[in-house]
Amino acid sequence: MWQVASLALKNDSFPTAIEAIRAIPDILGDRESLINILASLRRMAIGFGIAVLISIPLGLLMGRSRAVAAFFNPLLMIIYPVPKAALMPIIMLWLGVGDVTKTLVIFLGVSLPVIYHSFEGAKAVEEKMLWSGAAMGLSPAQRLVRIVLPAALPEILTGCRTGLVLALITMITSEMIARQSGAGNILFNALDMGQYDTVFAMIIIVGAMGICLDAIFERIRARLVRWSEPQFDMPLSFS
Amino acid sequence: MKVVPSRSSEWVRPVRPQKPASAIIEIERVSQVFQTSTRKDHVALSDISLTIDEGAFVSILGPSGCGKSTLLYVVGGFVSPTSGSAKIKGRTITGPGPDRGPVFQEFALFPWKTVLGNVMYGPRQQGVRATEAEAQSRALIEMVGLKGYEGFYPKELSGGMKQRVALARTLAYHPEVLLMDEPFGALDAHTRTRLQNDLLNIWERDRKTVLFVTHSVDEAVFLSDKVVMMSTSPGRIRDIIDIDLPRPRRRNELLLDPRYQKYVVEIERMFDESDLIGSSS
Repeated sequence: MWQVASLALKNDSFPTAIEAIRAIPDILGDRESLINILASLRRMAIGFGIAVLISIPLGLLMGRSRAVAAFFNPLLMIIYPVPKAALMPIIMLWLGVGDVTKTLVIFLGVSLPVIYHSFEGAKAVEEKMLWSGAAMGLSPAQRLVRIVLPAALPEILTGCRTGLVLALITMITSEMIARQSGAGNILFNALDMGQYDTVFAMIIIVGAMGICLDAIFERIRARLVRWSEPQFDMPLSFS
Repeated sequence: MKVVPSRSSEWVRPVRPQKPASAIIEIERVSQVFQTSTRKDHVALSDISLTIDEGAFVSILGPSGCGKSTLLYVVGGFVSPTSGSAKIKGRTITGPGPDRGPVFQEFALFPWKTVLGNVMYGPRQQGVRATEAEAQSRALIEMVGLKGYEGFYPKELSGGMKQRVALARTLAYHPEVLLMDEPFGALDAHTRTRLQNDLLNIWERDRKTVLFVTHSVDEAVFLSDKVVMMSTSPGRIRDIIDIDLPRPRRRNELLLDPRYQKYVVEIERMFDESDLIGSSS
């Protein structure tokens, strides 16, 4: 379809599918490009990892303690609708254009959905389940880790999946704004220089990365929450 | 919070003096007031005093909204009373503990654990070695009639099976008192009957103290040594009826027993009255 469309349009800025696909091995074969892409993935992994490690406990605490929720909710309500990329200029001003800034933006992008879903998951935990745990002698901290966390896990992982996709988006956006290295850097430099086959090839690469990461995550998720999935007679095509 | 003065004295038969050694739970002038968004506070329990003997099967019976579950939660330590206190073996209850094992209508199983994992949870928490806990748990699972289902997750079980698991899970950590909160309320009539029979069989083996909340008169009479009738608005004890029927009880014999029938009819009549009292106030 793409091939037909581009042939029909005969536009310089719309390379044919074959041209774009041909450019992929060139990019992946190039040492510098590969280092760039790996640097992107590294930032994404660190930003995502730290975000998850902080957001899940925070969300769970908010879900189980009214005081914690009352403290953080207004703050998060302000940050939530702000596009995280819009914060980049300020962060760049403070922290420069390096890894820290970009990782921080990814962190911000991932945190909110993970906090939100952890919060909702923790809130929905059945009181009687916690009471049953308390009767067995679990302390409040043990209940949070050993009852609230697993009970809210399906919801938490839904948030993490959204967070993963957002990590990719904020990764590219941050590299678009602060060009220095990374997959987004290659993409937008190529755009500036009119190398449209590279642009399209990069889009394919980033897209494929996103699909792969999501698929891997989905497999892990499905395995972890097998106990909660409703059983369908029909396989769901999208999962 | 001000203690709501009791108006229940005109109905309550004085609680028979108990030998202190045989009393396991003592509820002393417990009142529970819930703050509601409307201007009026809801008085769930008003000045309840009750003593429960060790090894007795006691049902708390009453219409919905009479605070019978709240009373059970006070004994469980899940809610603290607005005033008054509850004691177990002379110690004031300040929170939940493994000496009081709850079984809830909602089952409240851990869905991420298998049947065996759920039953083993309590003993493991109490520090019982894994192999030992597993052996005990397997025996309990067999006792509640779920042999072969050890590896199943709760979502794969029917309501009746879930409640059997919940009972086994609670029995597994050897509580001194079982607190059963309308445990069969969510089950169909047939399953309910079977679980009542099985509970009675299990109970008659080791005679653990049971506090059993229900709104079914038949269930209360069939199972209990003593039925505590509550009335609503505010929740208070209306009457305490000793069920003097021989044990072991068999359903088919009991249903034909005129003494059983008399209890049911009499308590049902009281139930209707207390319901009227509740709706008129």
